[in-house]
Amino acid sequence: MTVWRVALAAAVLAASGATCAAEHQHPAPTVLAPGYFALEFPAPVPGTYQLPPLRAAADGAVLDDSGHTRHLYDFMGDRVVLLSFIYTTCSDVNGCPLAAYVLKRVQDRAVTDPNLRAKLRIVSLSFDPQHDTPAVMAEYGARLRAPGFDWAFLTTASDDVLKPTLDAYDQSVYRDESGAVSHILRVMLIDEQHRVRNIYSVSFLHADTVLSDVQSLLLESLQSPQ
Amino acid sequence: MKRTTFTAMCLAGLLCVTARADETCMSPYMAKIVGQEDFVYIWTLGMVGVGDEQDKLVTVDVNPKSKNFGKVVDQVSVGGRNEAHHTGLTDDRQFLWATALDTSRMFIFDVHTDPAKPKLVRTIEDFVKTSGGVVGPHTSYALPGRMLLTGLSNNKDHGGRTAMVQYTNDGEYVSTTWMPIDGALQGAVKTGKFADGYGYDARALPRLNVLVTSSFTGWNNYMMNLGKLMADAEAMKHFGNTAVVWDLHTLQPKKIFDMPGAPLELRCAWGANHNYCFTATALTSKIWLMYLDDAGEWQAKAVADIGDASKIPLPVDISISAEDDLLWVDTWNDGKVHLYDIRDPHAPKQVFEQQIGEQLNMVSESWDGKRVYFTSSLLANWDKTTSTGGDLQFFKLYAWDGKALKQQFSIDFVKEKLGAPHQMRFGAYSLYGQKPPAGQLAQQ
Repeated sequence: MTVWRVALAAAVLAASGATCAAEHQHPAPTVLAPGYFALEFPAPVPGTYQLPPLRAAADGAVLDDSGHTRHLYDFMGDRVVLLSFIYTTCSDVNGCPLAAYVLKRVQDRAVTDPNLRAKLRIVSLSFDPQHDTPAVMAEYGARLRAPGFDWAFLTTASDDVLKPTLDAYDQSVYRDESGAVSHILRVMLIDEQHRVRNIYSVSFLHADTVLSDVQSLLLESLQSPQ
Repeated sequence: MKRTTFTAMCLAGLLCVTARADETCMSPYMAKIVGQEDFVYIWTLGMVGVGDEQDKLVTVDVNPKSKNFGKVVDQVSVGGRNEAHHTGLTDDRQFLWATALDTSRMFIFDVHTDPAKPKLVRTIEDFVKTSGGVVGPHTSYALPGRMLLTGLSNNKDHGGRTAMVQYTNDGEYVSTTWMPIDGALQGAVKTGKFADGYGYDARALPRLNVLVTSSFTGWNNYMMNLGKLMADAEAMKHFGNTAVVWDLHTLQPKKIFDMPGAPLELRCAWGANHNYCFTATALTSKIWLMYLDDAGEWQAKAVADIGDASKIPLPVDISISAEDDLLWVDTWNDGKVHLYDIRDPHAPKQVFEQQIGEQLNMVSESWDGKRVYFTSSLLANWDKTTSTGGDLQFFKLYAWDGKALKQQFSIDFVKEKLGAPHQMRFGAYSLYGQKPPAGQLAQQ
């Protein structure tokens, strides 16, 4: 890994609030995910391809970063949503920090586009409610959210409350003997009809392609007003 | 990290770049076992007069530390014979999809609740109807949260015209994308004589937004007795002659290449700057390279011969190492495995060859390249039926030390009343944060 890539990885980890203590448990990957770099191919042209509905987006009980009880559906239906399952102590640079990095890039572009700013919401939901209290999520969110942009940082009251939501989105999470979390990185693109329209994992998560998909859904919405 | 599989890194990142390759032949979207696998799941064709005669998923314990090493520890029969063929794991490795070329049924097994005892949790019976007429689901390839199924045929003429079909991981239909064909190229560039619309395998290079597909033949041919087929000049005209490069994100075909003689399994390189994929043609016995040239255009060319094509060795499965330096190639008809040095992908050189059995189909490597597994069966109506040495239908493990293959165990699937073994996939407790049951490991 080149020096600048190491520096980038360190910067991403720092920005996402990852702890260094877990570093010895998760060897640093030698290759960073494509989402950290310029796209190696032209981004798809919005509106020129299909994003068939994959499944219904599930509801679930959540806590906002003020600790108020809410429903996940409170954050869907009025906008296109990018839903990311994360935990704030994730130390794998190609895990949650990648999601934070890419979604922040999406936000950076969206805040300069009035249409995107008005019609896109990002939702980050923790799957580690024991550590990620509303206060922790508020602090985590403060490092990532741009002023005026709609990025919600949510958690849940307990693992039991969280489990049905994780199951509904096929988000598998395991803990080993040491308590370290293993999970598969997934970010969901959800349309205004509560339908999952794309799912991004580490090899596929890139701000340019995500934005093409978001704009495709917004074009679709214009062509088929509800 | 002491675990034998580096699942924390792999499940979180899915960019397991630390070692070698079956693990390297699967979707890059998938969690990988980079240490010792515990089990091999073998999708097995039912054979008349053998056991219960049904297709079944057979689980073999392959952990050398286990008391059950080299033994069949589980089998799940699915009801009747369906032309069991290939399998694929979902991207989260929770479920194994097993497809059937004759009945077009798809069987979904839970392999995460108890990796030693896969459980059949769903059978999709309406694939043909739901997909709009696609027949013979073949490859089950993991995409994020969904499975891409390649078809081999269709329900109108049972020829080779076919499509790719997407399902969610839990088995809900998503979409059908027909292969490009003359008259319906869908914007693809036809670079040669053929645009046959046939399908077989699919692999992705996500970094380059590329999906590649290959082409075999339709139900009329793959369900025909091999001797009868080879003697039928008209039927022999109906084999795939193409490979297609697709836009992975939009699933739109971009370029169609002539590739005469039924290109089958596809394996893409793993290296960060390795922009190419390999396949092997069954009938013309050549290794083909599909690659991105210096001008940024995808090209395809034959780069090596496999055995003596005039003797029809019939190359079938191939397996690429994680370091992109070696390619295993099985030839079904003579039962041999060939190893090619592919460090120069434009000029592969055979560096090793060994007889494995009387017929040989699938080859699967462990991630570290030290263990190589083989099975024997190709298709029910193509498999040899007369044995000269009692070594027709087997599952074998060999150790590879860089110079020689040394057999570790062999299971005779007929003697064990199981059937004809085909596709192999690996399982491990540590993928799911589990440990083997107490007392199972002989050497802790």
